[in-house]
Amino acid sequence: MTDAQTDFEPRITAFVCNWCTYTGADLAGTSRLHMASNVRIIRLPCTGRIDPLFIVKAFERGADGVIVSGCHPADCHYTSGNYHARRRFAVFHDIMGFVGVDPGRMTFSWVSASEGAKWKDVVDEAVSKVRELGPYEAYRALAPDDASATAEVTP
Amino acid sequence: MSDRYFISDADLRGLAADLLGAGTEVVAPVATDICQSPSAIAATACTLDHSLVDIDYRSLATADDLDLDRGLPQLSLKGYFLPEHEALCRWKQKGTTTEVIEVPTEFAPRVVLAAKPCDSAALEVVDKVMNWDYKDELWNGRREATTIVNLACPVIDDSCFCTAVGSAPDDVKGADGLLTPVAGGYVYEPATDKGRALAATHKARFDADVAADTVGRQADDERAAARERVAGNLEIDAASVRDWIDTHFEDPLLSQLAIRCNGCGACTSVCPTCHCFDIVDEQEGVGRGTRRRCWDTCQAPTFTLHASGHNPRDDQHVRYRQRINHKFAIYPLKFGEVLCTGCGRCTRVCHAGQDLVEILQAIDIAARRPRDDASGPAADEPAEAAS
Amino acid sequence: MTDVATAPAYTGVEDMRRIARELLEAGDVRVIIGWEHARRGARPVFVSDPADTDKLIFDTRCVHNLVTYLNPRRDAVAELGKIGLVVKGCDVKAVAGLLREAQLTRDDVVLIGVRCGGVLEENELPAALALTPENVAPRCHGCDNREPTLTDHLVGEPQPEPPRPVMTIDERVAALDAQPLEERWAFWTDQFSKCVRCYACRQVCPLCICERCIVEKTQPQWIESSAHPRGNFSWNITRAIHLAGRCVDCGECERFCPVGIPLSLLNRKLQHIVRDRYDYTVSDDPENAAPIGDYRLDDQQEFIK
Repeated sequence: MTDAQTDFEPRITAFVCNWCTYTGADLAGTSRLHMASNVRIIRLPCTGRIDPLFIVKAFERGADGVIVSGCHPADCHYTSGNYHARRRFAVFHDIMGFVGVDPGRMTFSWVSASEGAKWKDVVDEAVSKVRELGPYEAYRALAPDDASATAEVTP
Repeated sequence: MSDRYFISDADLRGLAADLLGAGTEVVAPVATDICQSPSAIAATACTLDHSLVDIDYRSLATADDLDLDRGLPQLSLKGYFLPEHEALCRWKQKGTTTEVIEVPTEFAPRVVLAAKPCDSAALEVVDKVMNWDYKDELWNGRREATTIVNLACPVIDDSCFCTAVGSAPDDVKGADGLLTPVAGGYVYEPATDKGRALAATHKARFDADVAADTVGRQADDERAAARERVAGNLEIDAASVRDWIDTHFEDPLLSQLAIRCNGCGACTSVCPTCHCFDIVDEQEGVGRGTRRRCWDTCQAPTFTLHASGHNPRDDQHVRYRQRINHKFAIYPLKFGEVLCTGCGRCTRVCHAGQDLVEILQAIDIAARRPRDDASGPAADEPAEAAS
Repeated sequence: MTDVATAPAYTGVEDMRRIARELLEAGDVRVIIGWEHARRGARPVFVSDPADTDKLIFDTRCVHNLVTYLNPRRDAVAELGKIGLVVKGCDVKAVAGLLREAQLTRDDVVLIGVRCGGVLEENELPAALALTPENVAPRCHGCDNREPTLTDHLVGEPQPEPPRPVMTIDERVAALDAQPLEERWAFWTDQFSKCVRCYACRQVCPLCICERCIVEKTQPQWIESSAHPRGNFSWNITRAIHLAGRCVDCGECERFCPVGIPLSLLNRKLQHIVRDRYDYTVSDDPENAAPIGDYRLDDQQEFIK
């Protein structure tokens, strides 16, 4: 498996909260920590704003993995956003696993503004895990089959 | 329809095999596992009862899959001419240049075998709107490429009413030929050039010698009996129903008949004549996407939602009234055809109990009532007049 | 199967008709929504005339969850006036859901509860059959609301427990859970690819009440509207998540689905999730707050790094 995948670079989308993880990621950068460069960060005010639909959309649009990260419990800038997110994502994580989405493709974390090193670890682990799982071809195979038996359509 | 052939059971399957062997797509009723998953766990995990075998129109993999039991396929032939979703064009964009990639409008010839007459008749009804102010090349292309052979119907149950709306269990409207079961096989009667060409190309399968007083008579009797059976389900005067609906838009009868409808839209998806579609642009990646059309339903709350936020049909009974109006008044007035072929699927699929046989009966009764009261039926007239 | 006996007549029917008639005559309600017998089986009926209350029935074919007619979007029903609704134990949990979410006030509706012994899976029949393991609706097994409390009137004798179906929904969920991930993916993507996006599941669900459903949002189009597997996956997962902790397991979504997607498996799994993680079971007590929208400081977070 690994030989064919040596040139596979996972595409990871990260949905992070502005106050903690985004700042933590920034700290990782200013501290010149080396980490995998496969992650595209999308900044939101709070994990409580993250709709599970964003994750579905990321997979639809070609992400091989996603990261969702925010403030530790009790540290949410908006007091309780992350508590709501915790429940919402627990349910989402479980039901996605039930329908056959590998939980290894979804990483959830609490990373505070001072945890630049932790962000590096979260990123490196997520990228390495997804590299091991390979490109998310199964999701891409859901792409519309307009080339049905009744029409020959060139892609 | 002056020429008749006999084709044996074995030869009919042989015909399907010949067509498949020549690389022609053959669409026909196929018995289907309703769980429809090749996955190993489907049998235990699926909650649906596996003793209920559905029939669906499918592209045959082999001639053995052909189901000739004359059951009603779950969905109509509509999806083979107007797919649930289909690409209208694709685009690629780089910088300021956009390339539009057209989709083909010509299709490989294919044959539909053992089609239900109500499903084929529906295609001819919808041909009218598909060639009205705009010629729909994708619909027309598929129609031109397809030869349809009907299999005369024994009448499914008391929800069928094809004869009440101008069709019949042995109709060839919209099709190219008709098979009628007789002892040992079928009588085949081509109705169009395509139908005749099928028999000519596969001469070996068709026997031109059909004894009129035995085999021929058998076919005629079978068909007459079916027509009588279905006529017993519902008889209406379609013209007076059309005129009554057209002049009684605000009549409370129409709301009463719609009250239990949930707006689920199942009726429109199983209906062979419903053809409304939505067009959406879907991005497939950076700088590329597809414009698609997909089935839509007038029963959806947002079907007539305007950009302003106003919705002229903002409640379910109004949407249901629209469906009846479109099918039995507007379309007939515009195109001279009822937008319904009496297949009964809408009634069978409706889990809220809406019954089109009952509804048409009630409207027919209201339409035939003497015109002593200009405002419509009397207040104490029950809505469920047929039950 | 052809020798299955007809179900014995339900004892509460006369009381139900009497209560309905009295409510209408007194003007306490303007319309009674219950079930009637029709050509193809039992179906919902709207009775405004006290003389028509004899149409009301209750038997093993009365599968429909009539709470869907309380949906605030249904103006035509609201215009009929105050409603008296006949409810089974599963149905009335949906009323509790609406009360919980402030879509209804308790005074808006009079509830006539029935002590139900279970319903048929295939209900469109001319006569009500007695329940057997082969014909009973699988969701009836293990029903915890056979003596509903959220009612204004309660009719019928306590019924025997519904028979255990050939395979229970929990057993089917467990069978799926026991499979490897790829098998589950294959199963669910096959099922979702059948979807024709008719939205029957949403329309009939008593708790799908959003005035503007997320699937109809076009700028941006969050959930693709075409009925291809990718769009269908997004729709079905989103609907499932939006019902977590709210779904009452009435089974209507699956019954209405014209292509037979086994939604009851998804719904039951979601119920297990909220039960196992948050000790929550849907009941007909409106004071029992739904799990999503609520939180505790010590909620499980084993999946979070």
